[in-house]
Amino acid sequence: MRVKKLLLTLLLAFAALGSVALAEEHKATPAHETAASEEAAYESKSLWKMMTSFYDTTGLKAIIEPQDGVKNGLGQDMSKFSQSWGRVIMFAIIFFLFYLAIARGFEPLLLLPIAFGGLLANIPIANMTGEHGMLGIIYNMGISNEFFPLLIFMGVGAMTDFGPLLSRPKTALLGGAAQFGIFGSLVGAAMLSQYSGFVDFSLKQCSAISIIGGADGPTSIFIASALAPELLGAIAVAAYSYMALVPVIQPPIMKALTTVEERRIVMKTARKVHKLEKLVFPLLVIMMTALVLPDAAPLIGAFALGNFAKESGVVDRLSNEMQNSLINIVTIFLGLGVGSKLAAEQFLVAETMGIMIIGLLAFAAGTAAGVLMAKLMNKFSDEPINPLIGAAGVSAVPMAARVASKVGSEARPGNILLMHAMGPNVAGVIGSAVAAGVLLSIFK
Amino acid sequence: MQEIHIVGESIKFMILGMIVVYIFLVVLIQLMKLQAKIIAKYFPEKVIVSPPKQQPAVQSDDDAARTAAIIAAIADYKKSNHNKKV
Repeated sequence: MRVKKLLLTLLLAFAALGSVALAEEHKATPAHETAASEEAAYESKSLWKMMTSFYDTTGLKAIIEPQDGVKNGLGQDMSKFSQSWGRVIMFAIIFFLFYLAIARGFEPLLLLPIAFGGLLANIPIANMTGEHGMLGIIYNMGISNEFFPLLIFMGVGAMTDFGPLLSRPKTALLGGAAQFGIFGSLVGAAMLSQYSGFVDFSLKQCSAISIIGGADGPTSIFIASALAPELLGAIAVAAYSYMALVPVIQPPIMKALTTVEERRIVMKTARKVHKLEKLVFPLLVIMMTALVLPDAAPLIGAFALGNFAKESGVVDRLSNEMQNSLINIVTIFLGLGVGSKLAAEQFLVAETMGIMIIGLLAFAAGTAAGVLMAKLMNKFSDEPINPLIGAAGVSAVPMAARVASKVGSEARPGNILLMHAMGPNVAGVIGSAVAAGVLLSIFK
Repeated sequence: MQEIHIVGESIKFMILGMIVVYIFLVVLIQLMKLQAKIIAKYFPEKVIVSPPKQQPAVQSDDDAARTAAIIAAIADYKKSNHNKKV
């Protein structure tokens, strides 16, 4: 509530400033004209000139009096709308993102720097998104060349424990099924683009949007900056907001597709995993990638490096660095760089709405496919499989696994599915990296 | 014309993508099973022997660290209290 109030006051203050400036502007213009025509009081004239020319450099003027032919930091023309109201709307959206991150705890680690980057990107005249602006430098340093998402992936690899997957390998199939969220929504995006008429996505753009269904932030940013950098801001915001909304989006779908009896299934305790298996696993994945899908090598390579460093047990210093300081530093840069794409002229377009819709569809489709696949496996498997763990196949580690466990313990108190759900969960990370590699290879 | 093309293409992407994801994961599953078998066969004892040996050492280290931390905290607390009095 306090945050809401704060936001309201901020917005009000902004509106008040705007109206004061409008009034000032009306007074200022005639005064300036008379001063210029009299040409008498030299001192006062120059003071007026100084004041008016200072006013020309203020953001207020830029917002209140949008000019034709104004260029943004990247040298593109800005419409009058995106110079004035567009910015005001973006400020409102950004304050809403702050509210979501701070008061509601929606992926604050990324949403907060992203939103702040957006705030900076919408400052008029400063051109912070330009080549020599702070955000532009960050963007060119690690996002346009797809570097930062890889560093994040390395840290995620160093935090991931493949034990649950290794103890029950076939649950990897669930992580595969959930990738239907990506490809199903790819078709959805193409259909929306064809039949609705309010957006017009190219195939590359459709692919970049559909990767939201992988429920994996770094992968989404990686693919978006490779295939459709102009949509990066909206895609990243959609991916992270929906990942934060996993506990809201998934349970209704999971409950609709399963019976109470299925949700009550208790799974057998998994076998203990040899330390050597965990050590060999990242190498297995890397070799598979090298042979089958070299296009996924950057993502899977970084991920496997992080995991290998962790499981080797001899480079704890490196693995701790990847899991903590490095990932934190990169998170700040990644957030600010993505935020630079929240400039009004790039974000306030019909496409953003389309991306939000397709992203939601992608999450729902991924969850549904995972649950249905788990039901199928339960029918044919010799040991019981609770269909709820299929929903954890969308990556979103470890949120999706926690949700599966929570819904399971609602149906049967004391039935802890968390470790069983972690298997499909981490397989989902590999699955979405593979899916990303397929999309990249298509557009090569 | 071109738009019809887009949906058709996207369906092809979907089929290709799901097939590749599944092939990748199925092969990976087989490899995981295989390596589990191999490791269980050739390195069976290490699991049982090494953890009990390591764990006490780690724990005592932990205890030592904990004791050090407690001592440091007490010293710090005393110092800060002392400062307050002054």
